[in-house]
Amino acid sequence: MRRPFVLLAVALLAAGCGGKADYDIAEVAPDEHLSGEHGNHHQGHDHGGDDVERDISGAVENRHHHEPGVRNHGTQWFFNQPWAAPFIWDKIVRDSVILLVLAAAVLLFSRLTGRRWQR
Amino acid sequence: MRAVWTFALMTMRSLLRRRTIWGIVLVIILALLGIGQVPSFDVSGQSRFIVEFGLFGLEMGALLLAIGLASNIYPRDRENRTIQPLLAVPLSRVRYLLGRFLGAAIVSGAAMLVGCLGLMLVLTLNGFEIPTSLLPATLLLLVEGWFLLAVVFFFSFWTSPPLNAPLTVMIFIVSQMSVREFVGLLPGASGLMRTLRLLLPHMDVFHIKDPIAHGIDVPLVYFLLAALYGIAYSVFMLSVALAVFRERDLR
Repeated sequence: MRRPFVLLAVALLAAGCGGKADYDIAEVAPDEHLSGEHGNHHQGHDHGGDDVERDISGAVENRHHHEPGVRNHGTQWFFNQPWAAPFIWDKIVRDSVILLVLAAAVLLFSRLTGRRWQR
Repeated sequence: MRAVWTFALMTMRSLLRRRTIWGIVLVIILALLGIGQVPSFDVSGQSRFIVEFGLFGLEMGALLLAIGLASNIYPRDRENRTIQPLLAVPLSRVRYLLGRFLGAAIVSGAAMLVGCLGLMLVLTLNGFEIPTSLLPATLLLLVEGWFLLAVVFFFSFWTSPPLNAPLTVMIFIVSQMSVREFVGLLPGASGLMRTLRLLLPHMDVFHIKDPIAHGIDVPLVYFLLAALYGIAYSVFMLSVALAVFRERDLR
């Protein structure tokens, strides 16, 4: 039972040594994806909530409008999902191919080193 | 392949005879009906709420189905000693695993389809339009369920059923985490955690409830890529499960 795990550990170690094989979308996103269409509208505009009184009194002056369906400071989580990030779709294909190759390697290895009682 | 298909149909029939599957389907339908009964209080966008919670309920259903259907199959075969005559003559271990997995996957697919139809019914009864991507979204959750099914089979070959369920739930929870969150569990060993994270899928690949609820179209090619990703992970988990199963002495 240990053999498949040994093979897996070696494969993982190789992948891990290869650098940053796994990723979050925000880590690999190009600047234009992260900044978004309305990304520059908030320069000099504080969204911090430390001074609640000031926030309430200034709410009307600071009120601003975002077009629906566009990335902004409140919708980053929405657009950092895989369906909205076409630049990682090739990585999805890459991971799938690696997994299929790894599956074939595990099957071959377990067959070659299998015990006598198996058919 | 014919032997696998025949054995899958046998597995399907035996699973449908158990009460577990009917109990889980009943829970899914009751949850969907409950979501449909929540009053809107005239707040706009109630359909978003129903779609988001409905798809979340279906995802939980996929997890419950995986555990409920598969965690007992191999231990029961071994306890009843039905596995020995099966493996002695008509089936190899590969065919046994594929037949059992395929049978459970078909039952899981049928149950998810019933859940999807239930969600459509709830939306219709509340006077809302059915999003066009609701069925593809359910199919992606089904692919996620198949991966979980493969995980359950993997654990069932070397743990007991009571341990199988929490381990699968743990894999499910950890797979929902981003790489940064996962590394944050053990910041001192970020390299190791990053490498370990490679084993687990990014479950958010299968989640498209947000764009559906907000009326944003998801390209067809994305559905295909996400399905390929889930199937590749399922194949990988099944291969590891088979490697473990091949090492098991059944005497």
